Amino acid sequence: MSDEVSPAEAAQALTDIQLRQQQVIDLATIPVWYWWAVGALMVVLAVGVDLHSPVAIGLTVPVFVVGMLAATGWVVGRAFRHAQLRNGLMDGRAVAAILVFDAIIVGGTIGLAFGLRAAGVGHPATLASVAGGLVMGVGGPVLMRRLRAIMLGNRTGAAR
Amino acid sequence: MTVPRFDELIHSPTRLAIVSLLAASEWADFSYIRDTVELSDSALSKQLTTLEQAGYAEIRKGFIGKRPRTSARLTVQGRAAFEQHVAALQQIVVRSGATILPSG
Repeated sequence: MSDEVSPAEAAQALTDIQLRQQQVIDLATIPVWYWWAVGALMVVLAVGVDLHSPVAIGLTVPVFVVGMLAATGWVVGRAFRHAQLRNGLMDGRAVAAILVFDAIIVGGTIGLAFGLRAAGVGHPATLASVAGGLVMGVGGPVLMRRLRAIMLGNRTGAAR
Repeated sequence: MTVPRFDELIHSPTRLAIVSLLAASEWADFSYIRDTVELSDSALSKQLTTLEQAGYAEIRKGFIGKRPRTSARLTVQGRAAFEQHVAALQQIVVRSGATILPSG
């Protein structure tokens, strides 16, 4: 049977295979709005911390928790309802990219907040979270593009 | 190193599309496969049953609340067959390239 398959037909089949796998990978891509939403929620939480008021904490913490659950639930639920990505598509490079991104956001935001506080700047948590939120909004899509490229490279039949 | 092996069962265009989707997934929802490959419920059921009978796919039926949910995934055997089939297709393309190239 393979003798009856022309090279052009085989090449077309390989293209179709790559595109189908890409469809699943694209489905798992976290949308841009998610990163900005998480960045904004970080700022909301930090405002509550900076105001040093039980009422402010009581208002901002639930907003942060509910917002995170809603946004993350939407993203995870979408993948769960359609297709869960094969674990093998992610590799050590993907894990390293995620860890570096997390370290920049968490370490950078906390470090900046303590630095601003030490310098006597007012509302250090809020200011640091605004910076962290901006990095999240801009960097999140960059991280997703990197992860997508890694996953596309790990597809069955992808050129290595 | 994957040994190339052309698989007639997988090479059918519809099944190739289904298996390709499943190859990138741990589990894929029945309705997602149906909508993506543009098949009717019965046509997809038939194709999945064929893959299941060949030992290439596993079908899981369950409920989320009161709503029935059917998912499918490739078995280890199915994934291996798919990888061998892809290798066979690549071999066909590469060989054609070799013959097209001027010798010497």
